[in-house]
Amino acid sequence: MSALTIEYPEDAEDVAPSERRREATASFRPGVGGWVARGVVGALVAAVVLLYPLSVPGFRAGEFTTGVIFAIIGLSLNVLIGYTGQISLGHQAFVGVGAFTSAYVVTVQGQNFAIGVLAAAAVGGLQALILGGVSLRIRGLYFALVTLAYGTLAEDSIFNIQTLTGGGAGQPAPRPTGFVSNHRFYYLCLAFLGLVLWVDWRMMRTKGGRALLALRENPRVAAAYGVNVRLFTLFAFVVSGVFAGIGGALFAHQTTFVVNVVFNFQLALVFIIMTVVGGLRSRSGVVIGSALFALLPPLIKMLRLERPLKRMDLTIPVIVLAAAAIATLVALRKRTRGAALWAPAAIAAISLLVLLPGRVPFLEARLHDVPPLTPELAPLVVGPLLLLLTLTQFPGGVGQQIRPITQWLRGRRFDIHDRGARDVVVTDVRA
Amino acid sequence: MQQAVVYGVITGAVYGFVAIGLVLIYKSSGVFNFAQGEFGTVAVYFLYLAKTGWHLPYPIALLVALGVAVVMGLLTERLIVRPLFDAPRVTLLVATAGVALVSIGTQVWLGEAKPRTIAPILTEPNRITVLGVFVSDQRLLVIGVLLAVAAVLAWFFSRTSLGLAILAASQEPTATDLVGISVKRLSSFTWALAALLGRLAGVLSAPVQGFFTPGQLTLGQGGLIPGFTAAVIGGMTSLPGAFAGGIIVGIAQSMAGSVSWLNALRGSQAVVVFSLLLLVLTVRPQGLFGSRA
Repeated sequence: MSALTIEYPEDAEDVAPSERRREATASFRPGVGGWVARGVVGALVAAVVLLYPLSVPGFRAGEFTTGVIFAIIGLSLNVLIGYTGQISLGHQAFVGVGAFTSAYVVTVQGQNFAIGVLAAAAVGGLQALILGGVSLRIRGLYFALVTLAYGTLAEDSIFNIQTLTGGGAGQPAPRPTGFVSNHRFYYLCLAFLGLVLWVDWRMMRTKGGRALLALRENPRVAAAYGVNVRLFTLFAFVVSGVFAGIGGALFAHQTTFVVNVVFNFQLALVFIIMTVVGGLRSRSGVVIGSALFALLPPLIKMLRLERPLKRMDLTIPVIVLAAAAIATLVALRKRTRGAALWAPAAIAAISLLVLLPGRVPFLEARLHDVPPLTPELAPLVVGPLLLLLTLTQFPGGVGQQIRPITQWLRGRRFDIHDRGARDVVVTDVRA
Repeated sequence: MQQAVVYGVITGAVYGFVAIGLVLIYKSSGVFNFAQGEFGTVAVYFLYLAKTGWHLPYPIALLVALGVAVVMGLLTERLIVRPLFDAPRVTLLVATAGVALVSIGTQVWLGEAKPRTIAPILTEPNRITVLGVFVSDQRLLVIGVLLAVAAVLAWFFSRTSLGLAILAASQEPTATDLVGISVKRLSSFTWALAALLGRLAGVLSAPVQGFFTPGQLTLGQGGLIPGFTAAVIGGMTSLPGAFAGGIIVGIAQSMAGSVSWLNALRGSQAVVVFSLLLLVLTVRPQGLFGSRA
């Protein structure tokens, strides 16, 4: 059986499995016990997602809602980066415009929440249509550059329009009646996430979805097969804009008061990072990765809640542990003698210096000057480190790592080595 | 109006520095380096730390900043760019954006999110007038250093074997390796050089303003986006084009702040830079000075 190794570049859950692969797996059907086990695990996951936020007090349930909203935004970027290979460095503009549109429609125009979300989705799509229509003849790096400039343009210009955003003062965005409490709004957002996931899934099963995957692999070959590359990329961009608009609207009503400074370039980078760390083209991975990033601040807060810690008590050990873990991973993967020797040596040296602050008075003073890593800052510092680790070591992200489990849940044989393609990379677009 | 032009040229000179760094790296690694602005901002932070925190004299503080920027450039090359050498270019773009974000996050974390003041090296504000506009010595220094760097770079890339080797490696890395030139070493060298230019942009521009904030040269209209626009105007591959592009962007931006009907528009500078970028990319993607790649 082991002789039958098929190395097909099978990228995503969305790709129709190649014929040989289907033959190889067709013979396997889980027994009754197997299905029960899968059902139990699936039910457990569902229970955690559905019930766990109920068990925390209302003011903390909001954090989970943010996780769900981030997942929607992550899926929006996944459509663009994962499916077409184009990258948007200005997604904060799409999310922000969605947020302000919904807030404007609900607060100033006095319409209800449903119309607000619809308007946000429509404006998000329209925005993408215009920007993409003008600029999508440019691809790859240059398109990323245009979106970057557009993001700052929105920050400086659109987000300062007084009637839309209230200038710097912000715009109130009340929640819909019946969903005012944090717990209820969580389920509303979860429903929207379900909707987005469903649309995404169905979309990728259409001819258009396959065209997207084809043009990502190689735009020229796809064009030669009759795929209208520019049109389908624009289509994906519009879908991404609609998702981002929905995410933005929910974000507005989650915070109930939108301020324009939130939608800055750092946020756009965090969006990209969470999508890439989650694993492009893997819906489950993107959802997990995005939610993880949204939950990072509360996680750090939780670690500190137990007892009042001194400034450097937690900060430094966390950094050292992270550095040690990264270095060890690198050393293990490279299996080079040099790295295997110097990495642990460096870690040992740093740890010694840190663990014996009493012996190194000069350094102790310096270390005490280190400000605490506040929960709000955590995604900005930890996030990019995770990103760089993902890109250099695990290019498939979370999605690729959990693939054996998701495949098992779908009724396949559990295969720890089933990681899809060996090298899942961000895109295959040459600029 | 005249003031807008004169100040635009000076701001443009800083964008020129950023743009040259971007072009250098694009030529050698094929990467859009989003960390370019951060090489400058980090250098400014270390300049501030060395000067105010460690009480070192200004020249030595400048040297410290120089060292830090070069080390950062080399580390980025070694830890991020080289492992991803075979990865698609867009992956590398995301990776360098990650480097920029680590850097900004660390600045906010360790340096706190408040503006810090930094004094210019040359303090005389209005000794000289150009076109009837007072130009401070620090601003003159920016222009002077840019011109000097331009001359040195022009000489370096046309007369020295190292400069020619870099050009060769950017055109045909495999063939360059085959004739016995280490492309890897050249790559390291280019990144160090680019970091050095970023550092020049940082330590020269921050004192003109008198203060600096985290991510100064990356966020908003501060450096990276105008720098990229300048590089694109220059065709992404032409060093003199990047200089000229920087000046063009600087003047355009400065005009946007002073022409009244434009200034009425909110975020007029961002609008002008964005329009310029879009215009060049859609109408003349090879830039004003570049050749068709």
